[in-house]
Amino acid sequence: MGGEDMMISLPLVLENPIRLPRSGLLHVVSNDRSDDAGLVAGVLAEDDAALESIYRKYGGAVHFVARKVLRDDALAEDVVQDVFVSFWNSPDGFDPDRGSLRTYLLTIAHRRAVDIVRSEAARSRREGTSPLGDQVIDIDDEVWARSQSEIVRNAVAQLSEDERNAISLAYFKGLTYVEVAKALAEPEGTVKSRIRGGMRKLSLVLAEVAR
Amino acid sequence: MSNHEIMDLVPLYALDALEGQEQADFVEHLETCSQCLSALDDYQDVAANLVHDQPASEEIWERISSAISTDGATESKVVPLARPRPNMFWRWTTAVAAVFALVFGAIVIIDNLDDQGLTSHSIAAAASRVVDQPGTLVGDFFVNEVSVAQVILAGDGRGFVIPTESLDPLDESRTYQLWVINDAEDAISAGVLGNRPEPSTFTWTGKVTGFALTREVAGGVVSSAGDVVAVITEA
Repeated sequence: MGGEDMMISLPLVLENPIRLPRSGLLHVVSNDRSDDAGLVAGVLAEDDAALESIYRKYGGAVHFVARKVLRDDALAEDVVQDVFVSFWNSPDGFDPDRGSLRTYLLTIAHRRAVDIVRSEAARSRREGTSPLGDQVIDIDDEVWARSQSEIVRNAVAQLSEDERNAISLAYFKGLTYVEVAKALAEPEGTVKSRIRGGMRKLSLVLAEVAR
Repeated sequence: MSNHEIMDLVPLYALDALEGQEQADFVEHLETCSQCLSALDDYQDVAANLVHDQPASEEIWERISSAISTDGATESKVVPLARPRPNMFWRWTTAVAAVFALVFGAIVIIDNLDDQGLTSHSIAAAASRVVDQPGTLVGDFFVNEVSVAQVILAGDGRGFVIPTESLDPLDESRTYQLWVINDAEDAISAGVLGNRPEPSTFTWTGKVTGFALTREVAGGVVSSAGDVVAVITEA
């Protein structure tokens, strides 16, 4: 089919005066862009409606990660705000050749949340107080399952329980592999292998699904 | 550490599960190893996939909105359109643009449109590439049955404004401004064109039912007084 056949041409109609909103003035309002490249271009052009659209697409996931790692609502909200304000101020930090905007935002959020947990843990060690959220090392399978799409749940189902536990503690609790090893009373090398092996499996399964 | 040992750390780093000297060594290695960097991108994508999308909090958006409004980053919502560099092709390109719909197939494409270094010619060339693509919207602003500018909006959101020589220049205290009309009949600023418009680009990926061209004070406005030059609407 030729492209010309598919072209949609607006009839060239001159209307004067323009159909105006009730106020009689033209107004700037938010638009409903859904394409990430267009939204990033909007943020680069300092269009706050573009940032709002990005927030509405990915803000919930960013918030979830921050809350899971920090287990503190106020701090989690600070992280979400920090992630999106930082992106607004420096959108060129996102390189679309390296991955999706969603991954970029979640990676930043997770890292900032982990930094807070570790700095709080260090402070607690110095001061002899309870660390942030009084971290209880448990593996909440229900939350782990609820947090994922069906595709990812199916991929996770292919992990061994040991692999799933190690990844869960590292990602959702923000623990280092050394801390995971202590929590599970396993050798560090074993935990490293489980995380590595589990992530490789997930990568392969998800890549297969994406094909 | 050997390359093999370093490579084994990629999935752990993607989960932020490294710390101390081991993490520092890995980050240093990343600066020079494209293979590990590429693997890291993949594993970070896996980690992000562990989280399902969820509704975003309205309260947090209010905080973000307030923060970006008070840091001076959003003093104006009127964004200048991407403008071409002044160049010797201007008159020629405008002349071509005036009969664009008839001759676009013959326009020579000389380079890609990007954020920097736009020329009138490259904008016209880029517009010519999308004008016959499926989903592209094309319309003219007519004044007294003479086209003063053509608007082309590709399906991927890239928009082009090609003024003709029939568009009267304004004095320096004023500017032309382009508006997109959405399905709620709201007119949304797509950018300012200046007092002597040249071929320009804009980005728009929302629904469109028409376009408006107005005259405004220099720099553009967020709310127009309605000095409308012409409007393009759906039948």
